[in-house]
Amino acid sequence: MPYHNIGRGVGRMMQEVLIGTLSMEILYSFVIIVCSLMIYFGTKELYELSGHKGLKYFRMTFLFFAVAYFFRSFIKIVIVYLGKQEIALVAPILFGKLPIFLFMYFSIMAIFYLLYSVLYKKLKHDRIHLFHLASALIAAIIIFMGGNLVLILLINILLLIFIVYVVYLSYNQSKKKKTLNLYMIYFLLSVFWILNILDILIPNVLQGFQLLIYLASSGIFLMILYKVVKKTGAN
Amino acid sequence: MAKRGKLEIIRDILGIVQNSNSIKPTPLLRQSNISSSRFKEYFSEMIDKKFIKSVRGNRDEKLIVLTEKGNKFLEKYKTIVNFIEEFEL
Repeated sequence: MPYHNIGRGVGRMMQEVLIGTLSMEILYSFVIIVCSLMIYFGTKELYELSGHKGLKYFRMTFLFFAVAYFFRSFIKIVIVYLGKQEIALVAPILFGKLPIFLFMYFSIMAIFYLLYSVLYKKLKHDRIHLFHLASALIAAIIIFMGGNLVLILLINILLLIFIVYVVYLSYNQSKKKKTLNLYMIYFLLSVFWILNILDILIPNVLQGFQLLIYLASSGIFLMILYKVVKKTGAN
Repeated sequence: MAKRGKLEIIRDILGIVQNSNSIKPTPLLRQSNISSSRFKEYFSEMIDKKFIKSVRGNRDEKLIVLTEKGNKFLEKYKTIVNFIEEFEL
């Protein structure tokens, strides 16, 4: 077989793989963004009627998740799959550091708000502004330290340790011990979220497990959505 | 008797207004079983949230009536409490 035919075949195969992963990426982002927005809007009425602070933090968590996943899919689809070099040359900040900063900021905020929704009752003063500050700071450090993989891993491991500590503390202080399943969902949500961050910051590091991570993350969001729909009676 | 939470107190006050169709502020305070300072706080919050409104009666007296939103709160109260408990908010 002539070499140019083999080359053409490989090219076609690569294109099919690219289309496949691109479709998977679009579907994954769509599922998570829709689930998050459904949770946000599904609890709107309950929050408007009650004005409950915990409900506000819970809803904001999913709004932040939706925004973060929007920037995640933007980075993945526009920058990673459709060729970073060409786009980055046109507007390096707009298509380079800015979406990564926004993705990091909103994703860390989402996790912090989730933790805060179960923590705020134990705090005497409203400390949510500290979480905004911490998220912006972590996102900025990651952006300015660009390619330092050790630092990225270290920050994410520290974040995970902090999350595990808060979840464990909240579970121990919980009045109804049967809610292990809720805390387990929160814990898994945080773990898979950090894997999503690593997937963006260190491309190819989780390539072999990507489908598994996407399925597990979507499953967790669908589980939370199911719990919300069941409790709100929303249709 | 366990201390009532904020949502429970609002539910109780709205329940009193609903059962009486319209009620004067003083009997409402008496029946709600809370101090007058706390009642004032809840009362203005319920007015702000448009759960209740004050109207003038036949003898030009001030009466408190339930609004549509107040009715909605009473309808959804159980759902709100269940949701808060379920997610430990």
